[in-house]
Amino acid sequence: MDRASQRTQILANHLLQSSPPSPLSSNACLSYSPPELSENYAFDVKEMRRIIDGHNVEERDWLFGLMRQSKLFNPKEKGGKVFVSPDYNQSMEQQREMTWKRIEYLLERGVFKGWLTEKGEAVEMWKFAGFEVSSIYDHSLFTKLGVHFFLWGGAIKFLGSKHHHEKWLMDSENYLIKGCFAMTELGHGSNVRGVETVTTYDSNTGEFVINTPCESAQKYWIGGAANHATHTVVFSQLHINGTNQGVHAFIVQIRDADGNICPNVRIADCGHKIGLNGVDNGRIWFDNVRVPRENLLNSVADVSPDGKYLSSIENPDQRFAAFMAPLTVGRVNIACTAVYQSKVALAIAIRYALTRRAFSLKPNEPEVLLLDYPSHQRRLIPLVAKIYAMSFAANYLKMLYVKRTPQSNKTIHIVSSSFKATFTWNNMQILQECREACGGQGLKTENRVGHLKGEYDVQSTFEGDNNILMQQVSKALFAEYVAAQKRNKAFKGLGLEHMNKPCPVIPSQLTSSTLRCSQFLVDALCLRERDLLNRFIADVSKCKAEGESTQQAFLMCYQLAEDLGRAFSDRAIFQTFIEAEATLPAGSLKDVLGTLRSLYALICLEDVSYVRYGYLSVENGASVRREITKICSELRPHALALVTSFGIPDAFLSPIAFNWIEANSWSSD
Amino acid sequence: MASSVSSQHDQILVEVNSSARILTLNRPKQLNALSLQMICRMLELFIAYEEDPNVKLVILKGKGRAFCTGGDVAAVVHDIRTGGWRAGANHFMKGYTLNYLMATYSKPQVSILNGIVMGGGNGASMHGRFRVATENALFAMPETAVGLFPDVGASYFFSRLPGFFGEYLGLTGARLGGAEMLACGLATHFVPSAKLSMLEAALYAVDSSDPEIISSIIDQYSEQPSLKEQSVYNRLDVIDRCFSQKTVEEILSALEREAVNGRDRWISATIQTLKKSSPTSLKISLRSIRVGRLQGVGPCLVREYRMVCHVLRGEFSKDFLEGYRAILVDKDKNPKWEPSKLELVTDTTVDRYFAKVIGEDWDDLKLPVRSKFNLPPYVIAKL
Repeated sequence: MDRASQRTQILANHLLQSSPPSPLSSNACLSYSPPELSENYAFDVKEMRRIIDGHNVEERDWLFGLMRQSKLFNPKEKGGKVFVSPDYNQSMEQQREMTWKRIEYLLERGVFKGWLTEKGEAVEMWKFAGFEVSSIYDHSLFTKLGVHFFLWGGAIKFLGSKHHHEKWLMDSENYLIKGCFAMTELGHGSNVRGVETVTTYDSNTGEFVINTPCESAQKYWIGGAANHATHTVVFSQLHINGTNQGVHAFIVQIRDADGNICPNVRIADCGHKIGLNGVDNGRIWFDNVRVPRENLLNSVADVSPDGKYLSSIENPDQRFAAFMAPLTVGRVNIACTAVYQSKVALAIAIRYALTRRAFSLKPNEPEVLLLDYPSHQRRLIPLVAKIYAMSFAANYLKMLYVKRTPQSNKTIHIVSSSFKATFTWNNMQILQECREACGGQGLKTENRVGHLKGEYDVQSTFEGDNNILMQQVSKALFAEYVAAQKRNKAFKGLGLEHMNKPCPVIPSQLTSSTLRCSQFLVDALCLRERDLLNRFIADVSKCKAEGESTQQAFLMCYQLAEDLGRAFSDRAIFQTFIEAEATLPAGSLKDVLGTLRSLYALICLEDVSYVRYGYLSVENGASVRREITKICSELRPHALALVTSFGIPDAFLSPIAFNWIEANSWSSD
Repeated sequence: MASSVSSQHDQILVEVNSSARILTLNRPKQLNALSLQMICRMLELFIAYEEDPNVKLVILKGKGRAFCTGGDVAAVVHDIRTGGWRAGANHFMKGYTLNYLMATYSKPQVSILNGIVMGGGNGASMHGRFRVATENALFAMPETAVGLFPDVGASYFFSRLPGFFGEYLGLTGARLGGAEMLACGLATHFVPSAKLSMLEAALYAVDSSDPEIISSIIDQYSEQPSLKEQSVYNRLDVIDRCFSQKTVEEILSALEREAVNGRDRWISATIQTLKKSSPTSLKISLRSIRVGRLQGVGPCLVREYRMVCHVLRGEFSKDFLEGYRAILVDKDKNPKWEPSKLELVTDTTVDRYFAKVIGEDWDDLKLPVRSKFNLPPYVIAKL
C-alpha cells in the first residue's frame, strides 16, 4: 500500500502540472481547441447558475433532458455532439404537426401537471421555468403552450367564475380541450376597446349571438386557430338592449372532437410568417354563432337569463382593465423568455469567439483569437452584463407577480410593461450583435443565432406593442407625480422614493473608483429619471397651458416620454441587480457580479441622453467610455465561466459553439 | 511477436506487441476487482503510453471469467475503518482520475469484454473508444443495491444512452448481455469469443491510431447478434414512459400503472428491485444521471467525487456500510436502509450530496491537464 501511495503522489504531480499552451505554427492546419481546456473558472459556475436561474433548477434540467432524449425533438449529431433543434426546413404544415407532437409527448410525461388546476407560488414559478426552458428549444413550442395555458387557461381562470373553472380547467390541462384566444382583429390590435365583433343576447333561447359584422372585424393572428384549437375565448362588444356595455369575453367551440370546424364559424390560415411557422395562426369569422348564456366569462359582469346587464364594476375603464388581466402574466412570461434567447445567442457567440482566430499581428505569428481583440470584447462583454442585469430583473418580476395582491396590481402592470418592452428590444439587439460576431456562420440556421431573430421579432408586438407599453409607463409615472403633488405626499412605490430626497450631484471629475461605486451609479440613474420626469411634467403642462388636451399633450411630448420610459427601466433593472448582489456572501462570485453590475450601469450611462440633457460633461462621458473598455478586458478571462453559468445545455446551443471544424468536415456531411 | 514485460504475479499483465500494448487485469480469483495498486499501475501505464510515439493502441482485457467486477469494496471499507473516510475516498479519487484519462485519451483504447463487467469495470472500459462485447459479456451497474450510486463516470455514459434506458440501468442495476450492450451502444462491437484471438492478432498488426482503421478491422470479426424477444431493450417504450418521470416516486407509480395494464412479470420484478434498493441511493442516482446528461465527462466525475465523499462520510446516511454488510459480508441480502423510505429522503438531503464537502481540508477532484495533447474530435466532444 505504501508503494502504491508513493507512486500515486508522483503520478498526481505529473498529472496536475500544467504546461504552457503550445504556440500555434502558422503553416499548420487549424485545429479546434476547446475553450474548456484553456480557460479557467474563477468562481463556481453551478452556484452562479442557481443564482441567475433563481428557481426550479432541477425541474429545468429534467425538462431539458426530456427533450434531449426524444427523437421527436429532432436530435442531430454534428462534430461528435448531439444537438436538438426543430427542422426549420420542413414545410409550415409539417412544423405545425411536429410542434403538436412535442406537446403531446411532454403532456404524457406529466410536464403540465397542475399548470391549470393547482394554485400557489410553487406551481406558478415552475410554470415560468417550464416556459423558459421550452422557449430555449423552440419559440413555436413556447408560443403554442403560452396561448393554451396563459391566454386560454388564464382567461378562464381570471375572467371566469367557479363553474367555468370546474368545467374547463382540468380538461384543458389534459389537452382534451385545446384552447385559443381571439382578441386581435384585422382592424384592431393594441386598441382592444375598438374591436368590432358584436355579441347580442337572445332571451328567448338564453343564448348569446356572436357576429363578425365586417371584414376588418375578422379575428387575426389567432395562435392555434388554423389547425388544432377546439375552443376559443372571443373578445367582443356586448350589446344589451341597444346599449354597448363594452368588451366582454365568451367561450366558443370552433371545432368538434374530430377536428371539423363548427357550423357558422369560418377559419382561414394566416399563412407563412418570418418565424414561428410551427404555430398555426388563423383568422376567424363568426356568422351569428350561438353559445349558451353560461359561456360568458362572468367574473366582472353578467347578463341575467331575462337579459339584464349586471356588473360589479361600474366604471367602464376599470371594467375593461379587468378584462386585460390574462395579458399581464403573458407579458411577464415573454419578458423572462427573451432573456433566455439572449443567453443562447451570447453563449454561442462567446464560445465561438474563444475558438475562432483571425489575422496575425505579425507575420508568421499565430492568428489572434476573436475575443482577444479589444473591439470584439467591447461588442460582446457589455451584453453579458446586460443579460445578468435582465436575469435579476426577471426574477424580481416573477416574484412580484406570484406574490401579487390587489394593491400590487398597478406596480405589476407598469413593471411588466416596462421590462417586457426593454428585454425584448434588448434581445433583438443582442441577437443581431451575436449574429454579426459569428460572421458567416451566424447565417446558418443550424447555428441558431441568426435564425432566432426571425423567431423572436414578434415579441416586440404581441401582448402589447412595445412602444405603446412604454408610453403607458411614462403616463403612469406622470400620474404618480401629479398624485404626489396634489396630496402633497411623498413618492411611494415603483422605486420612485429617490424623488423625495435631494437631487444627487455628479462629481465634476469621475475617477475609476467612483465609476465602480454602486452609490454613484444609483445616483446617476436616479438623476436622469428624476430630471426627465420633471421635464415631462413641465412640457405636458406647457402644452396644456397652450390649450391642448391632456391626451394631445402626451402625444406631442413623445420624445421625452420615450426617454423617461427608458430611464425608468434602466434604473428599475439596476436596482434589482444591486439587491441581488447584496444578498450574496463575499467571495469570487460576488466580486465578478460587482464588476458586471458596474459595467451594466456604465453602459446605461453611455446612453446619448446623458449628454443630450447635460448630466455628464464631455470629459465625464469620455471617462465612462474608458472605464467600460477597462472592465471589458478585466472580464475577458471570465467570459467562458459567465456564459457557462447561463446553464444552457450543450445540446441546446449549436455546432459553432463547439468543434466547428469537425462539424463541417467532409466525413461529417 | 509478443514480449512479456511482467511476471505472472503482477495484478496487471503487460504485453508489448509492435505498436499495441495489451494490458490484462490479473486478479481472476477476485474476478479482477480493481485494487488501488491496479488503478495506480494503469494510470502510470496510460500516461507513459500517451507520450510514447511508438504506442498507437491500448488493448484492455481481463483474465478468467470476468473482465472486471469493479472496485475492491472490501479494501475501501477496510481503509475507512482504519484510516477514516478520506482513506476510502482516495481509492475513488484515483479511480475517477483514471476514468477521466481514459475518456480523454488521445489514442484508441479497445476493451475486450468477454465476461462479467460491473461497476468500476465499466469505468475502465466504457470511456474508451472501442468496447468489444462477446456472447459471454455480462454487464451491470448494481450500486443502488449496496447503498452507492452508479459512479466511475456512469452519469456521463448512462445519460447518453437512448431515451431513458440509462436511468433504468442505473436505478435497477439490470443486467445486459453482449447483444443488448451492442444494441444500446454500451458496446461498439460484438465479436464471438471464438474469434477473439484472431481479432487480437489483427489489432497487433495495425500501425495506426486512426479510429476509422481500427474500427474497420474490428468490423471484420464482428457479428450482428439478434436480440432475444424478451430482452429489456425491446421494452424501451415502457422504459421511456416510466423512467422519464420527474422523481423516483413518480417512476414507481408509472411502473405500477403499467403493471396494472400489462400484468407483466418483468414490470413487477422491476418494481421489486427498486423497492429493495437504498432509497437514498435511488434518489441521488437519478439526480446524478439527470444532471450528468447536461455535463461533460470531466464535470460528471468531479460531481461524482463530491457525491462519493458524502456517501463515505455517512453524514446523511450510512447505507454504503450497511449494503456492504448485507450483500458482501453477512450475505443476508437484507439491508436495513436508513432513511428507510423514499419519502424520507427530501430534496434538501439530495442537494447536500451535490455540494462541496465543507472543511476537513477537502478539495474537489483535480482533473489532469489535457490541453497539451492533440485530442481527437470524439474526445473533444466529451469535454
